Amino acid sequence: MSVADDREAMLELVAAYALGVLPSADQGMVAAFILADPQARREYDELRSTANLIGLSAEEPVDSARAARMKERLMAAVRSDVAPARAPLSATRTSAMWGTTLAAAAAVVFALVSVIQNFGLRSDLHDAQTRVATLQTRLDADRRTVARDRSMLTDLTAGDAKRYTVAYGTVVTRGPHLYLALASLPPLPRGKVYETWTLARGAKAMAPSVTFVPNQSGITLVPLPEDAANLSAVALSVEPEGGSRQPTTKPAFVQPLS
Amino acid sequence: MEDGARLMERVRARDVDAFGQLYDGYHRLVFGIALRIAADAMLAEDVTQSIFLTLWSAPGSFREGNFAAWLSRVTRNRTLDALRSRATRATDEIPVDLPAEASTDAAVFANIDAQRVRGALSVLNDEQRTPIELGFFGGITHEEIARRTGIPLGTIKTRIRSGLRRMRVTLTEAVSR
Repeated sequence: MSVADDREAMLELVAAYALGVLPSADQGMVAAFILADPQARREYDELRSTANLIGLSAEEPVDSARAARMKERLMAAVRSDVAPARAPLSATRTSAMWGTTLAAAAAVVFALVSVIQNFGLRSDLHDAQTRVATLQTRLDADRRTVARDRSMLTDLTAGDAKRYTVAYGTVVTRGPHLYLALASLPPLPRGKVYETWTLARGAKAMAPSVTFVPNQSGITLVPLPEDAANLSAVALSVEPEGGSRQPTTKPAFVQPLS
Repeated sequence: MEDGARLMERVRARDVDAFGQLYDGYHRLVFGIALRIAADAMLAEDVTQSIFLTLWSAPGSFREGNFAAWLSRVTRNRTLDALRSRATRATDEIPVDLPAEASTDAAVFANIDAQRVRGALSVLNDEQRTPIELGFFGGITHEEIARRTGIPLGTIKTRIRSGLRRMRVTLTEAVSR
């Protein structure tokens, strides 16, 4: 496949990203490509705004009773937000009644659990609780991953992000966040990695940050853990696996941060 | 009626009347998209209320651009989230993977309405329209579109791109007439 074919293939992924059909595993790579390539950025902006209009084709009349019911609820919520009223006495009473009901329900649950234990099901219950705890842990981890990815994509595409063009791509900062979106990075010699460096404000020497190896396409999105607001520069160099304490090769770029 | 962007400015200033106008102007769009995606009127109603409550509680989520297009994408994402969890809650967060379009697009597409978008979709051939609509309203990946239609993934990618580009040309021509 030629370089031109590779590029067309990437632009097709940009279109898929714009439509919202790109698998999440590919989104970081495509976002990095968009940031590093002005034509891709232009195409993304155009196709994204076009794709967003597709929903308009689904606009249709809503039956008047439903529309009125929804509006009534919404307006009530909004008005109460603007002028919060004191809770009426009846609401307090209702809460108290609920409290009693909940206490009774809790007692029933407690009794049921006791019965289960009495019938020797303690072991099953323990297994089930373990499985639930495991699943909950996985779910929490997945949620954290999704939240992190969303936050990252928001930073990269935000209008108030600062972007610095560097060799092989773009450095992006937004608030405390700092990213390198790099495309077409040269392949690394065996035993080498790319290492990022940051210069804290007032410091005289670069400090090592994260190391990484780009994927086969050379496109990489690297979030740096340092607080961008405290940095005056970021750099990238090739280093031995495991990283170095000081740059040992000429940096691919050194980018001051304003 | 004022356009959505202007109304959102007033909503930011806690203008209840503006919020009512916003609902009048856009509930058909929000409900229509949610219903098309979920095929469940009750869920569509929940999503509609959830989205309008979020517009009120977090009006800063919309920054600039074509409000209807932005709302369209937000509704899509929220409905898909609701379908995945089957639990629609009013959250304080608009899905964040949506940067508002560039302001230049707001000018170009400011007067685009449902009829023109339907017209632009009808210009596409079935081969282009099907993956685009499946992707937007079905909330599935291009790999899943390929699997469901039995068409190679590479072909699906090409058709999505060419279809979106053709739509854009059609819409741009429509607003320049």
